[in-house]
Amino acid sequence: MGPDMEPLFQAWSCFRRRKFSQCSALCSQLLQRAPGEQEPESEYTVFQAAWSLKTRALTEMVYVDEIEVDQEGIAEMMLDENAIAQVARPGTSLKLPGTSQGGGPSPAVRPVTQSGRPITGFVRPSTQSGRPGTMEQAIKTPRTAHTARPITSASGRYARLGTASMLTNPDGPFINISRLNLAKYAHKPKLAKALFEYIFHHENDVKNALDLAALATEHAQFKDWWWKVQIGKCYYRLGLYREAEKQFKSALKQQDMIDTILYLAKVYLRLDQPVTALNLFKQGLDRFPGEVALLCGIARIYEEMNDISSAAEYYKDVLKQDNTHVEAIACIGSNHFYSDQPEIALRFYRRLLQMGVYNCQLFNNLGLCCFYAQQYDMTLTSFERALSLAENEEETADVWYNLGHVAVGIGDLNLAHQCFRLTLVNNNDHAEAYNNLAVLEMRKGHTEQARALLQTASSLAPHMYEPHFNFATLSEKVGDLQRSYIAAQKSEEAFPGHVDTQQLLKQLKEHFAML
Amino acid sequence: MVQSTQDADISLLNINQGITCLTSGVLNPQLGYDSLLVGTQTNLLAYDVHSNSDLFYKEVSDGANAIVLGTLGDISSPLAIIGGNCALQGFDYEGNDLFWTVTGDNVRSLALCDFDGDGKTELLVGSEDFDIRVFKEDEIVAEMSETETITALSPMYGSRFGYALSNGTVGVYDKTARYWRIKSKNHAMSIHAFDLNSDGVCELITGWSNGKVDARSDRTGEVIFKDNFASSIAGLVEGDYRMDGNTQLICCSVDGEVRGYLPGGEEMKGNLMDASAEQDLIRELSQKKQNLLLELRNYEENAKAELNTQLKEADGRRGVIPANTQLQTALSVNLGSDSQSAHVELCISTTNDTIIRAVLIFAEGIFEGESHVVHPSLQNLSGCVRVPLTPPKDVPVDLHIKAFVGYRNSTQFHVFELTRQLPRFSMYALSSPDSAAEPLSYVNCTMNERAQRIVMWLNQSFLLPEDAELQSAPFQVCFTSLRNAGQLCIKIKPGGEISISTDDIDLAGDIIQSMASFLAIEDLQVEADFPAYFEELRKVLVKVDERHAVNQRLTADMAEHSNLIRSMLVQAEDARLLGDMKNMKKRYIELYDLNRDLINQYKIRCNNHTELLNNLKAVNQAIQRAGRLRVGKPKTQVITACRDAIRNNNFNMLFRIMRVGTASS
Repeated sequence: MGPDMEPLFQAWSCFRRRKFSQCSALCSQLLQRAPGEQEPESEYTVFQAAWSLKTRALTEMVYVDEIEVDQEGIAEMMLDENAIAQVARPGTSLKLPGTSQGGGPSPAVRPVTQSGRPITGFVRPSTQSGRPGTMEQAIKTPRTAHTARPITSASGRYARLGTASMLTNPDGPFINISRLNLAKYAHKPKLAKALFEYIFHHENDVKNALDLAALATEHAQFKDWWWKVQIGKCYYRLGLYREAEKQFKSALKQQDMIDTILYLAKVYLRLDQPVTALNLFKQGLDRFPGEVALLCGIARIYEEMNDISSAAEYYKDVLKQDNTHVEAIACIGSNHFYSDQPEIALRFYRRLLQMGVYNCQLFNNLGLCCFYAQQYDMTLTSFERALSLAENEEETADVWYNLGHVAVGIGDLNLAHQCFRLTLVNNNDHAEAYNNLAVLEMRKGHTEQARALLQTASSLAPHMYEPHFNFATLSEKVGDLQRSYIAAQKSEEAFPGHVDTQQLLKQLKEHFAML
Repeated sequence: MVQSTQDADISLLNINQGITCLTSGVLNPQLGYDSLLVGTQTNLLAYDVHSNSDLFYKEVSDGANAIVLGTLGDISSPLAIIGGNCALQGFDYEGNDLFWTVTGDNVRSLALCDFDGDGKTELLVGSEDFDIRVFKEDEIVAEMSETETITALSPMYGSRFGYALSNGTVGVYDKTARYWRIKSKNHAMSIHAFDLNSDGVCELITGWSNGKVDARSDRTGEVIFKDNFASSIAGLVEGDYRMDGNTQLICCSVDGEVRGYLPGGEEMKGNLMDASAEQDLIRELSQKKQNLLLELRNYEENAKAELNTQLKEADGRRGVIPANTQLQTALSVNLGSDSQSAHVELCISTTNDTIIRAVLIFAEGIFEGESHVVHPSLQNLSGCVRVPLTPPKDVPVDLHIKAFVGYRNSTQFHVFELTRQLPRFSMYALSSPDSAAEPLSYVNCTMNERAQRIVMWLNQSFLLPEDAELQSAPFQVCFTSLRNAGQLCIKIKPGGEISISTDDIDLAGDIIQSMASFLAIEDLQVEADFPAYFEELRKVLVKVDERHAVNQRLTADMAEHSNLIRSMLVQAEDARLLGDMKNMKKRYIELYDLNRDLINQYKIRCNNHTELLNNLKAVNQAIQRAGRLRVGKPKTQVITACRDAIRNNNFNMLFRIMRVGTASS
């Protein structure tokens, strides 16, 4: 870059090439050079251009897609009173776990997440969501690294983004919001939009952002749909879902936008009205036929409602429109895997590999698929790759756990034992590994050890039925019928349709009746 | 529905706001099943219970005091019509408001009924200003004045409908004529039309505050069935609750007792009362017999007295008065004195030396409890009784007068009954045209009517000392209000141009409406200017804007605070679980402080909201008043145009519409 280049143009160019810190530094120089005026005045000057560009650069640095980012804090989860129906009809609410109606695989085949939903092929913020019954449980469960969630969505990730941005500026914040005259900026739509995004994304000061947006929309005589969407976003962050809904709807009336539809659907999901959200998406599809974001949204909702087959249908529709859609490929792949078609799943995962996804999880899945598809030659190499690609201990633990599975499958119990031990070394919260290890101990006849391991597993993951059931069988074998009965009941609670548990319970009841 | 484990047949819905009205029915014809409509002070929610999804959620700033669901007039899709503070709004299933109009006061009850028998339903609105108004779409076709707030309306069949007032009155109207009414010391909590005796005609079922339920015949008001609950009735509904194909009447009391009634079968022949009812009838008849015997004896005594020409005093004691005795009544305006405020005076006098022992006046809406008894003390008995009347509203009232006439020492009196109508604008006294400065505000209109007709109207509606004679065509009459000494001037110019000057926009509206109905004018466009009132309205509109802005900021503050509270609560609980009592205590103390702050803020918000509501009500009333200055089509146009102006926040346009009646100049 030549030294004689116009500095503003240079900054602009940096911005276009996403070199934001460079851009910001250039703008700072420009701003220092500009004569003493601190706030942009009536005409749009070079100073204003630099100011606006710097605001945008700082915003872009910390920008996270507002549609995708969604984190429900403990407080929202537990103190949530937005849903209308306390006990909704099955299939119309996201709150009820385990109400499979679409003929998806049972938890015996497909493992479930903490919330009792089958695990998906793609990790999204909302896939972690679970709804524990009590506040105590809610606070206690996320003590593991995997499931940690913020206290409220207002603290959590947003606040961290805000503080992160503060650190980058040693001279204090670029714009001192409390000293801004928001009404003045609201009258300059071009500056106001940049400033709003800065306040909203960079400073994470929703209240001031809302004030600015309200003033600006008034100045635009309520005719600018963009401001309405922004007000809706602020309300959504503040937890005022009904107000947000109103703003989004009004914006949609003015201008059909996919973004707005997605935001509105988010509001409905928070209000626990998945059917309304689905209808909204379907209406959106009439206006934007084949829109991937909408199709994907529908598929996600079906998946969260446990309607796996419908979800798969929509994921296939997504692929028809966009055959490089990673989320859809991964979800269809995992669905095939859990419905006993590892060969087809393998093809989907290979497709991912072709597209350049190259990480531990993918090789892990590939390894498992190869194993179940009886392509043993590829299995171990895949796992080796996965191990070498693992970025942290949790990932390593997962790989070892799966290797343990393979070892159990080929009957090498010693290897399996070692694998599960290695899993626990890497991640000592791995409940599934505890459970499997306990089963191995049981086979060896080490009852006491098995019992201890199972107890650990069930306290780590109360939502899994396996440790409870195993504990029940173990206790029944050693003659501790009372404990067996209690554990069996827990198991039934976690997975009502489990036949073995039911049989065990029946047997126990007969025993008690005899006594 | 398989629902919560605790109570299998109850499922709870959480609305997060105080619920003010509730109804259900088919709102979306394509959906094919009922939707639930929930009205709160600020919102209306249409909710599809079956699929747990909203049909729409609308903010209604005027509140929703009453709701009714059904088709209205020519509007094809079913509407959810809500009545709020002075406003009526109808929403279709997509949440579009297809119907909007204003009414005189806060709406308390709504019903849909085919009022004029044209096969389309009209909307009945009962409001806090004691009026039942009938809307044919957005045009008022009839107004009935009652004596208290109308708490419930229920269509019966055809043009007949039942109503209940907050003072315990229940009755039935057919079109604008009242069939019957009864008054009880208890309050009617709920009324419903249901054919309980299977005679093909609905009875009016009333649930009372003392737990009584009775069914009354729609024609006579006679009780045909009654039952008693231990506590006050909460509501009455009908439905096929047992799913056996029969509709039942279901009554629910406030402490949760629910009883269902099936309609009586054919064999009962509409006779639902048990044996004790017959005994009641016998008792009643024997009492009647007793009364008749008493009367007969009186006549005999009188006949005896006529035979023996005895002393006059003895006659007096027996209650004989001259046959030509007449009771005369006169209404006049009394301008009042220091001790007494201005009022209308009813003077009742006899034509000879007989005296009036007592007067009983029965009139709706003038006296508390509808009747008034004047009972002069023994010393000042005379042949003339003056009763002060102060009707609170400008409505024509029928005075039913009963006077006891006799001699000073009579023990029996003759009862004279007569009815006198109080003119509509009786509270205005004629004054000389130049006695006070003419009001600045005026209404001008042109009526193609002869001046004589207008003079006739004047004579009928005002209490004039002597009937006004037709003077030369441009002539002027002035009145002073007895209530607030406001001036009213009516000028009639040649060519039918009429100008009404008064500062009271309500009065101007009443005069226009009264004239129009007397002269049978269908459409009337006027030009009006009320500078003082408009200025006030402008202030109110500015305030509404301010309140809206403040409200938004307060809401955002509140939301932020509540987020903070949530996080503190979780932190405190976390500390408790960890056994960190010191921290927990600290958190809870913080929480307590924050909570106090929040409550203070809430109070501020509440005040803000109440003021906003009052201001909005004032705006709605202004539109209503501007409408009342016109008749027929111009009236509807003005109301619609005013609403558009308010929606667009165009105040100048609003005032122009109120002045000239149209948006375009």
